[in-house]
Amino acid sequence: MHEFSRTSQIVEAVLSEAAKDGAAKVVEVEVEIGDLTFLGLEQVKFAYKILTEKTIAKDSKLTIKQIRGRGKCLSCGHNGPLSYLDDPQFHVMFPTFNCPGCGNPLSITAGRECVIRRIRIRK
Amino acid sequence: MTYTVQGEPGEIFDIELDEDLRRANETIAEENRRQLQKHGVRAVDVMGSIGSGKTSLIEQLVRLLKSRYRIVAFKGDLTTKIDSERIASLGIQTVQINTGRECHLDANLVRKALAKVDLGSLDLIFIENVGNLICPADFPLGSHKRVVIVSVTEGPYMVVKHPFIFADADVAVINKIDLAGPMNVDANKLANDVRNINAKTSVVLTNCRTGHGVGEVVSELGLKPVA
Repeated sequence: MHEFSRTSQIVEAVLSEAAKDGAAKVVEVEVEIGDLTFLGLEQVKFAYKILTEKTIAKDSKLTIKQIRGRGKCLSCGHNGPLSYLDDPQFHVMFPTFNCPGCGNPLSITAGRECVIRRIRIRK
Repeated sequence: MTYTVQGEPGEIFDIELDEDLRRANETIAEENRRQLQKHGVRAVDVMGSIGSGKTSLIEQLVRLLKSRYRIVAFKGDLTTKIDSERIASLGIQTVQINTGRECHLDANLVRKALAKVDLGSLDLIFIENVGNLICPADFPLGSHKRVVIVSVTEGPYMVVKHPFIFADADVAVINKIDLAGPMNVDANKLANDVRNINAKTSVVLTNCRTGHGVGEVVSELGLKPVA
């Protein structure tokens, strides 16, 4: 839902880091996006292409690693992936925030990321 | 002896960045929470679709609570102040947050609203988010409790279609249950959908027009109504 504004944050941060390091060109950017966020990856890629057009990051490769949701159960100690309710009427699987082991609530430990992990530049 | 190593033109470098783009909002949300706690003020964020009954719920909550708590309401809205005037007519202070084109409140807008009120003379803040079941999920505000309100008139699939908004919901309100029959929607099914997504969320069925069930929302929020 906020792909354009989030992606412009990404591009801004990348360009400012690249400038700091005296880059002539940004070659590649690696980001991690959690699957519990509302960021559509295709839209992020599209926005990235548009937003980098007149910058030194033009034509750079955007690699997006999707992080699956994980949670820790406060009751039984389960710590792992969320379970997804698979209902044939829906075209996506939706997660449950309850423990796959005991059914008690989980505390979410992963899946909400929007992080720039590394950038590759040419000097 | 000190060596200096530097890249040649054309050489490629990897830079580890670990820049978290959600941090900006979350840092401000934490600041908001600290500021509220310093003054002993509790804040409740109310989220729900357009027309689900967010303002009606806040009106009913204010009616039940205003003689015990000193309350202010922040009202997020794209353009108008119709709703804040509705709430203000109950005799409490309101702060209108016009988001312009934004589809959600963020922690920074709430910080600005907090600066407009005297926290020392308050006990409770209701923050009405912009009518939207999607975007607010990604933007914590620093409130102590998050309420999601869904009404039966939105149809039988509203909960399962928007699971993410329930990840942080402390209370889910299923509203307009007086219309469940005519709408042919099972309010209990909506309630069970919430429980299947997040067992931590307590579910209350209401009719915010009459106030039915709102007392239960008060206790689920950990507040005490006037005896």
